[in-house]
Amino acid sequence: MPLIRKPADRTQTRDPDAVDVLKALVSDDREQRWAAARAAAQIDGAAEALGTALRSESDPRVREAMFTSLTCMNSSQSVDALTPLLRLDDASLRAGALDALRAMAEAVRERLPALLNDSDSDVRVLSSEIARSLPGEEATRLLCDLLAHESEPNVCAAAVEVLAEVGNPTALAALADCAARFRDTPFLVFATRIAADRIRAQCASHV
Amino acid sequence: MSEFPALAQEEFRRLCEFLYRRTGMIFTEAKRYYVERRVVERMLATGSDSFPDYFARLRADAQGEIELFVNTFTVNETYFYREDHQLKCLTSDLLGSRIRTRRSDAALRIWSVPCSTGEEPYSIALWLLENWALVDDYEIEIVGSDIDTRVLGLAREGIFGKRSLMRLSPYLIEKYFVSIDAERWQIIADLRESIRFSQVNIVEPRQTRPHGRFDIIFCRNVLIYFDDASRRIAAENLYENLLPGGFICLGHSESMSRISPLFDVSRFEDAIVYQRPDGGAHADR
Amino acid sequence: MQSFTNDPTGARMRTDKKTVLVVDDASLVRLYYRSILEDAGFHVEEALNGLEALEKLLACPADMLIVDVNMPQMDGLTFLDRLRQKELPLSSIPALVTSTEAQPQDFAAARAAGANFYVVKPIDRDRLVEFVTMFCGVPR
Repeated sequence: MPLIRKPADRTQTRDPDAVDVLKALVSDDREQRWAAARAAAQIDGAAEALGTALRSESDPRVREAMFTSLTCMNSSQSVDALTPLLRLDDASLRAGALDALRAMAEAVRERLPALLNDSDSDVRVLSSEIARSLPGEEATRLLCDLLAHESEPNVCAAAVEVLAEVGNPTALAALADCAARFRDTPFLVFATRIAADRIRAQCASHV
Repeated sequence: MSEFPALAQEEFRRLCEFLYRRTGMIFTEAKRYYVERRVVERMLATGSDSFPDYFARLRADAQGEIELFVNTFTVNETYFYREDHQLKCLTSDLLGSRIRTRRSDAALRIWSVPCSTGEEPYSIALWLLENWALVDDYEIEIVGSDIDTRVLGLAREGIFGKRSLMRLSPYLIEKYFVSIDAERWQIIADLRESIRFSQVNIVEPRQTRPHGRFDIIFCRNVLIYFDDASRRIAAENLYENLLPGGFICLGHSESMSRISPLFDVSRFEDAIVYQRPDGGAHADR
Repeated sequence: MQSFTNDPTGARMRTDKKTVLVVDDASLVRLYYRSILEDAGFHVEEALNGLEALEKLLACPADMLIVDVNMPQMDGLTFLDRLRQKELPLSSIPALVTSTEAQPQDFAAARAAGANFYVVKPIDRDRLVEFVTMFCGVPR
């Protein structure tokens, strides 16, 4: 029979030293950076180093591992390392940071109201997506507060998109108001109508 | 058939959009009745009073509800030659590609993880012995792993009932199994002894790394149900467990587009599979 | 017909209409474009991120792409960059990039990634049909 069976590998690997890992995050060797990026998840205080290393990291695979480690840390330090990346010009860093933040709802929750109030409208667009990972009531409240005073149509669009999934009936007034303010923006008229229909369907089945 | 309240049109759309975003699975209007019945089934099972209650539970993935919901659509049992289009793909395309591009003549290694009670790794062995013309030219190592030691015990024992064997011809059963009684068959000792079974938690690199690197990994119907952090770690572990150019096969309703960007997608005649890059701009060198 | 799970190879019924693949993570944007473009006589396929778009294109070639920039797992510019490195004819599918970003560096990054045109969101019906007709020709 051509099938063979080999014994299991029993060699134990030692945990790498924290200082070596942080150094290796900016090594010239991609495999070392990948290994360091993965090992950093277990190292206290590595969040800041990961956030810095991400800005100069050019390899998408190593970036992915860095974002994964920051996601696993799930701490206020990792939130601090990730949020500045939302402002960068590099679309793939923004997307990576957003995916990571969305996956750590607990840690980012406290910071979300400030992010939704950020002076940069692109940060507000991305932050609206983070609300998707919160429980429906909390997300609805935050996004309705945002809609109430938001003047940038793309931020409203992002908030309405999330409300279409998570919103409850308390969002109906904010959606109607948004539709009225942006009646000359056909997409927002369309989006608020669909979101409101979805929320109303839920009220109907509730009674 | 029991009475149940139908989902409102927009509730159905909200549910479909959520499932598409989260899993990549597409549920169309044509499947609405089918979906509604499963929703009601799960609402009863979870004690949800209304669709909004149930939808909140699903969104939060409370107690693994996404997996429980999707499982109501699929035959949630393992049997020999399940998803045989992937086995066809293995012999018609994947092994050929590996032989052409791999850099050593070490044994071809195939990993079935999670392997549950062993139907998948034994199916791979049977399929290769029966359907791959070059089977005698190469050494092939098949490893089956699972997190659950109970199912691993059953896999090592290799005793299966009728339902497990329903897709196998009498010829194959005669050739590779020994009848124990009217209802049970045991896979022959030669095959049991040629597959290694091991325990592994695929989100734990200390457990995945000792398994070494494989040419092909079958990892079906598990990654899509992990939470974000676990899914990312598992994908990185599996990447390390693949040789450059090696392939990973997911379940037929899973898409890597919801799991990880680490792999390239390849389409063959019988299946869509994913590949650890080997060469090119974002490849491993 | 699409089933509730993915077809193993993604093979779908072909239509003689021009196909537009909309790559955007916002469900309401995809729905909006779909309703407009189907009314105008085009066939519409959807993908939620760049990875799914690459997967879809293997099974179902498109005549043009409408690509958002910010998307989960693989952003629109990384997607276009990967697509442009594939073989013909896949690599040459025209792409309209849409984004909420309106700075000159955003336009430059999209152009560098292989965008044929860049439009700041939101887009209305007439402009959308105009762009798609420009890339695909008048629908049959």
